[in-house]
Formats: sequence, C-alpha cells, structure tokens
Amino acid sequence: MMRATPWQTGEICGPDAAKALTKAAQLKRDWRKTKKPLMIVGSQAPSIKHGRGDMVDYSIELSKAAKIPIVATGGAVKAFIERGFEDAKSMGAMELVGYLQDPTWKGPHGKGPHDMILTHSMQYYMEWTLLSGVMNFARHIVPVSLSRFYQPHATWSMPNLKEKNYRDLLKEILEFLGGSK
Amino acid sequence: MKKKAYIKADEAETSMGVFKGLEVRIGQIIDDEWDEPMGPTPMPGPTTLRSWDHKLLTKYTASYMPYCQVCCLCTMGKCDLSGDKRGACGLDMRGQQGRIVLAAANIGCSAHLAHSRHLIDYLIEEYGPRTRLIQGPGTEIHAPVSRLVTGMRPRTLEDASIILDYCETQLAHTLSATSTGQEGSWMDFESKVFHVGMIDQLSMEIADLAQVSTLGMPQADPDAPLVESGIGMIDTNKAVILTIGHNIIPAASITDYVTEKGLYDQVEVGGMCCTAWDMTRRDQKAKVIGPISWQLRYVRSGQADVVVVDEQCVRTDIVSEAKKVSTPVISTSDKAVMGLPDRSDDPVDSIIEELVSGKIPGAYISDHHKVGIIATRVALAVKPARRRKRFFPSAKKIQQLAQDCKKCMECVRACPNDQNVQEAVLAAQTGNMELLREVYNNCIGCVRCESACPNDYALHSWMAAVSQDSFKNETHVVRTGRGAVQDTEIRRVGQPIVFGEIPGIVAHVGCANYPGGGKDVHDMAEEFAKRRFIIVTSGCAAISAGHVKDENGQSIYERRSGEFDAGCVVNMGSCVANSHIAGAAIKIAAIFAKRNLRGNYAEIADYIHNRVGAVGISWGAMSQKAVAIAAGFWRLGVPVIVGPHGSKYRRMFLGRADRDRDWIVYDARTGERMYTAPGPEHLFYAAETVAEANVLTAKLCIRPNDTAKGRSIKLSHYVDLHERYMGFFPEDVWKYIRRNNDIPITLKDKILAQMKENKWKERPIPDPTMLKEQIFTGGEK
Ligand code: SF4
Ligand code: SF4
Ligand code: SF4
Repeated sequence: MMRATPWQTGEICGPDAAKALTKAAQLKRDWRKTKKPLMIVGSQAPSIKHGRGDMVDYSIELSKAAKIPIVATGGAVKAFIERGFEDAKSMGAMELVGYLQDPTWKGPHGKGPHDMILTHSMQYYMEWTLLSGVMNFARHIVPVSLSRFYQPHATWSMPNLKEKNYRDLLKEILEFLGGSK
Repeated sequence: MKKKAYIKADEAETSMGVFKGLEVRIGQIIDDEWDEPMGPTPMPGPTTLRSWDHKLLTKYTASYMPYCQVCCLCTMGKCDLSGDKRGACGLDMRGQQGRIVLAAANIGCSAHLAHSRHLIDYLIEEYGPRTRLIQGPGTEIHAPVSRLVTGMRPRTLEDASIILDYCETQLAHTLSATSTGQEGSWMDFESKVFHVGMIDQLSMEIADLAQVSTLGMPQADPDAPLVESGIGMIDTNKAVILTIGHNIIPAASITDYVTEKGLYDQVEVGGMCCTAWDMTRRDQKAKVIGPISWQLRYVRSGQADVVVVDEQCVRTDIVSEAKKVSTPVISTSDKAVMGLPDRSDDPVDSIIEELVSGKIPGAYISDHHKVGIIATRVALAVKPARRRKRFFPSAKKIQQLAQDCKKCMECVRACPNDQNVQEAVLAAQTGNMELLREVYNNCIGCVRCESACPNDYALHSWMAAVSQDSFKNETHVVRTGRGAVQDTEIRRVGQPIVFGEIPGIVAHVGCANYPGGGKDVHDMAEEFAKRRFIIVTSGCAAISAGHVKDENGQSIYERRSGEFDAGCVVNMGSCVANSHIAGAAIKIAAIFAKRNLRGNYAEIADYIHNRVGAVGISWGAMSQKAVAIAAGFWRLGVPVIVGPHGSKYRRMFLGRADRDRDWIVYDARTGERMYTAPGPEHLFYAAETVAEANVLTAKLCIRPNDTAKGRSIKLSHYVDLHERYMGFFPEDVWKYIRRNNDIPITLKDKILAQMKENKWKERPIPDPTMLKEQIFTGGEK
C-alpha cells in the first residue's frame, strides 16, 4: 500500500507525476516559497471522519493555524457555515480549474493570485481532473493533495496510506504548516 | 433548393428494358413549393459557421484536464506534451485535447448517423423511397433541425436519405481533421466538435422522424401511453426475451411476431436502454426493464431466456456473461456481431435447434425478419428447464466464499464510484448483507471490482443476489416517448419562456453512469417540475426518472402530464428523440419570433442562446454519443451540465463572471454594445454534487432577454436553491439586476443592500444579439 501508484489503477498520467508525500517536512521548500496558498475542500469533507470530528473540522483547524483561506466545492460550504466558520468561500470544482489557469486571478477571497493549492475530500476522479487542469495549465501553482489516496496529477500526494497513517500525517501537516511560517 | 438524389434498384423494368443493378444520380431537385426564403448557410461545411463558433468559444473558454500528457496516435510518438512541449507533428497539449474531444464527438456522431442510415435504408426497402415523413398533428414546422441546417424540408424517406448523404460527408470531414498533420488549433478543433454535434443532431432527427412516420410510434403525442417498467414488472412465468441497445428494427420483429402469433400470454419482451423506449412506443405490451447499467444484474439473474442485442451501449462481454447462465444471445447489428457465428442465411429451424441445444452460445442474424421468430421460439423452448435453475448464489454461499477475502482493497480501487466493496465483503463474512445492498444501490454494474479481485469473486452477482427484494419492488409505470413537440404547444409557452415567466426548460437526457444511483435524476427533475419549469427527458435518464414512487405509489410520469408545459414531465423517447428537444427550442424562434429557419443557423442559435432559458443535464453521461449530443446543444448556445463523472470528458466550457467584457452584447435596435449579466454563465459544466447541479441549473436559465418579471422569477429560484443547498444568500444576485423591477419583492432588502455595497448602476435591457448582422440598422451604428 505504500507504493506511489494511482489509487484508481488506470489513472496513469504521464511524464510528470506527484512525489510521494509521507512526511510533512517534505513540503518545507515549497511551503517556504509559497506566498498565497488556497485550500480546496471537496463535498465529501463532512462525511470523512477525522479524529473526533471530520475533514471540515480539520480544514478549519489547518486554515486557522497555517492561515490558508478555504474554498469549498460542491456545496461543502454549508457545513463550514453551520460550524460558524464564515471565512470559507464557495465555488465549483470545475470553475476553480478554469479560474486557476489565469495567473492574474485574485482567488475566491480576492487575496490571490494563489501559488499553491491544497486539495482534499473530493471524489477521487474529480480531484484528479481538477489537479490535471492545474498541473498542465496552471504551472505557476504547486498542487498538493491532502487526500489519502495517491493523486498523480499533483506535485505532492500521499501514496495510498493506511487509515491510521493518514490521520497521523494529517496531524503532522497541521503542526508543520501551522508552526513553520 | 438544390439537392442531390440517388436512386438504386437491384432490378428495374423500364420502357427501355429491364436493368439489373440500376443506379441513377440526379444532380438537382428544386423544392419550389416552399416560399420561405433560403438563409445564408444551407448545408454548411466544416468552416461555414466557424465565426459563430468562435464567438461562443471566446465567451466560454475551453478548460482542459488531460487524462495523460502523451500522445500515441502516430509512429512519430509517443510524444511528451507536458509543459510547453510540442509533439513531433507540432501539436501542443491544448490542441491535442481538442483533437481527442473531436475524435470522441466523431465517434458519437458516427454511431447515431450509422443507426440513422441503417433505419433509412431498411425502411426504404420495406416501404419505398416515396414514403411520407410525418411528425404528427400540430407539427406544421416538422423537422426543424433539418430545415435549419440543410434548408430542406424532408418529406419522404428519399429526402431523408439525401440529408444523410450530407451528414456522412460532413462526418468524413470532421473525422479527417483529427488525422496527424491536419487541424492544429484547439479552437478550430472545438469548432469542428460543434459542427459534428450539429450533424449528430440532424442525423438523430432523421432517424426518429423516419421511425415515427413508419413504425406506428406516438406522433408528437402529449398523451403517449403509460407502460410498465422495472425488473419486478417482468412476469417470469412467461418466457422472457431481453433486448438491449438502440435500434428498433430487430426488436420490432420480435414484438410483431409475438403479437401476430398471439403469444403475449406466454412471452414477455423487455428492453434496456433506448430499444426499450422504441419498443414500447410501438407496442405497449412490451416493457422497459431498466437503464443500460442494469444489463449484467439482469442477465446474471438468469431471468432472460434469450438476449437480443442490436447496437450501441451493449456490454461487449455480453456473450460470455450470458453463457455463464446458459442464455443464448442473438446479435443483429453489423456493428456489434460480438464474435458469434453468422447464421443469417441458414434455415430458421436449424438455427433454433442449435441455440436451444446449446451447441452454439448465440448467433449473428442480420436478416431482421428472422429475429422475431427465432428469439421467440428459442425463449419458449429453453424456458421450462431454466426456471428450475437458480442462478445467483445463496446468502449462505456468499458468506462462505467471503471468508477467503484477502483484504487487498483491489475491488475498492477498481470501483469508479468509490464504493467500499471490501467492507461489504467483510460484513458478508458475518452474515450481514446490508452493506452489499448499499453498494448495489450506488453501483453502475461495470464489474471492474470483479476483474480486479484476486479471488475472482462474482461481486456484482453477490450484490444483486442479496438485493432481490428490491428487484421485486421495481414495479413502475412510465410514459413512453412522445416524439416531437407540437407547434400549438410552442405557441402556448413560447412567450412565457422567452420572457422568462416559465423559468426554464430542463432536459434530463443521456446515460446511466450515475455517481450515486439513478434516484438523483428523479429528484432533480421533481425539484424543477415543482417549480414549474418544463422538464423533458429521454434515454436512460428518462427511465431512471420514472423509477421512483411517491407516497401514493405513483411515478413522476403518472402524477405529471406529458404536455410541453410548465410543471410537466415530457418523455421525448430514445436517444435519437433528443433532436426534438433542440427542435422545440428552434421552433420557439420560428413560431414566437417568426424567424426564418431555412438554412439560417447562426441567427437562430443566437436567438436561442440569448432568449430561451434551456439547460441540458446528463447526470450519468458516459458515452461518446453523449459528447456529440451535448455538442449539438452547445452550437445552439444551450448550456449542458453533466454529473461528476462527466469531468472525465476532460474539457469544460467556462464563462468568466468576473470579466465584464465577455458579457457584452449588441442591442439589435440600436447597434449599441451593452453589458448584460453572466447568463448563461457556463456552456459545459460537470457538477460535483446534486446540490451544485441544482443551484447551477436555476442560474443557467438566466438569459439577457428576460423581462423584469421573468428575471425576478428566475432569481427567486436561484436564491432559494442557493440558500437551501449552499447555506447562504448568493453574493452575485446584484449583478443580475438591471432595473429595480428585476428585484424579487420578497428578497428586496437583501438585494438592495448588495446592490449598494457593489455600487450597482441601472442599465437598460437590450434586444440582445451577438451577431452584428442582426442589428436592425445593418450594423452601421
Ligand atoms: S500525432 Fe503528433 S503528437 Fe501525436 S504521436 Fe504523432 S507526432 Fe506525436
Ligand atoms: S460493479 Fe459496481 S461496485 Fe463493482 S466496481 Fe463497478 S460500480 Fe463499483
Ligand atoms: S478484491 Fe476480492 S479479495 Fe481483495 S478485498 Fe476485494 S473482495 Fe476481498
């Protein structure tokens, strides 16, 4: 399970393929360089458990700790609002692919242009289509997948982790990104 | 009107003698009875409408998401197209993506066109070339797509054949553009995608018009009959013939034979996918079993005594699958022979004997007249022994087999719908079958999980086996396809649609590659029918929409009328009947606005794009045909939403709401350039969830031409759905307000506040057009 092969095995992408992200510190260089990251949270966030909560809670925590604005897709924004987190914006995943290709786009909060995206909690195949658009046509952006399963169209992606290892790595990432800037 | 005619006869007796193998080509026939003036673009070639296409493609940018970064289409490759690299032929990544989409659209169009050609040739042979084409009562403007594209009014099968000649030529051109060293720019590839989409729409119109005219199907009938649907409706005390595909001719031979011999008390004829619709359009004793993704669950149940396949969307492993349950297969289409021996010319009795004895797993029979008798007699012969057999494993057997699960997750990795099959198998180890049932509900029957499983578990059969209760409950009543929309219906709704008072036409069409079961299609259709949009359906989506019962046990078709009107749910029919949805939009321009259709594509597309609030939704789109169908709508300026799997079509057409210049139109009255709001905001969009799709559907119905009343109605729906599904008041409502009376009264305070915050300014409502030549002053101003 630790091999960095696409989770859906047919999803082979080409010469460029994501590096396996197994330790938060691997993000050090890219994180240091990034000025304007954006977290893209998919519609499955409320149904993916994490710790005592779910991936909505995790996103809020990471957003606050590492100062990463959130854009929620597919209606996930409702869960953020219900939890009193008013800073999440809402856009469609496919809209984001289009807008992110424009290097002058200021982003959903008007704080861009973004130079890194962190994605998670989308259908596997929708995350890869989004990441493919970014990898190929938004080359000013470093795409990082925070999903459990390997997304070859990112720059960094987890290599199909066991559930527990995934949780641990998410915690590590929270601490690392939250503490290192 | 110039058109070419071609007449062929095996043997013709004339005053000059008897000719064998006679072929006559006539250069021109003039349709001089039609006084409508010819428009600028009859029978357009691949670049004739290029400037219209480029207008759309500038407003809606292609956003590509490549499957991979290489091209492997010629021996100079594989070429690495990542980054700024170009292939050995000079093509870049965007061009390559446009090219792949064009290849897909060509494939899709070829399927409809070849189907249409088969129908026309067959019907000419059966009924003669002069057979009249009749769309039905109240359809004076019959064949609106043909009129618009070709400038012809197809009145006979011979005319239909001439139109298909044109389509075939165009398909050859657009397909050739994908060859190495032809087209190079993404925009020109996409323009050809539009072109072949338009050709696809035309060939579908011809196919449906021909079959409706000759085969006894409902003709533009809002009261098209209600028919039985669902696995539970199939009476297994009778011999069961299952038909799968899209081409009515072989299936018609079956239902005709069964009717003629008075065998309906002994035989059930049920269909899947569009063949099912077309069978029930002719014969209401036939039944619609389910959408295309139901193929394996039904075949493996062993209920079908014979499987007859025609063309398109048929599982390519149908013969080996049917063999597992000893069901003979009859293939009937030269496009899908399926490896079976050709028995077309053999005596009927010997074919029947070999199929019944199991000597051959199936037979290819191209002579459609024989299909009915063979399928029926074989089904009757094999039925008694088959009913004594059990085909699905018992729960006990499943539990026992499940013990050896390797917990390797391969089944989960293989599942396109991210179903946790492993967890379900592990639960089955303890005798808990609930999770398998849950997977079944979200399953599209692709059996990728099975091919990946190292234990070769028949996982899909397990799911189906433990879900047999829900099989039995699949007893639905659906309205079969009505065909075209009547001119009189358009006369009634044309104005309220163009003014925006009927907030939109929402079309649920296409395949059954659903991300989470077919119920979503029903729920979306019901949501908008309740809001008094006009809902139209076709194909597998039309089946799924009907497979949900309300508290009174009624389907959406039983509780809602089949008229083309607000709040109704209108099943047009099979895939080829999609052309009538385009036809309805085109007829609005002709009837309500009195625009000429004849060879006048760009003007009518511009009209529809700016005035007719129509949206196509294909929640389970999977095929290349669906691309071609969508492309036909894009060229008319009609936006299309697909489900999340549709993102794998690898290209969206996205508008930029934040770029005001993209939303400028001419005011046809003055020639002045005017800003309108971003409506429709996108031309092609894959929604991640039903929530997103619903909000977007309401929004994509907005058109520059809406009256104040229409705009405020549309905005009320948009705001309501947005608040419900997104949890907040949308931030962009102010953009859609042109004058104060656009504001929905009940939302006044919030919108006024938004307008103030964004320094809103009043603006006039234009008579919108994207075409300079549509300015009344001739574009001088
Ligand atoms: S068609 Fe062009 S890009 Fe593709 S393999 Fe050949 S040379 Fe390379
Ligand atoms: S058959 Fe059903 S469960 Fe199996 S992979 Fe296909 S969709 Fe998933
Ligand atoms: S693929 Fe087969 S063996 Fe592996 S987890 Fe799934 S059911 Fe078990």
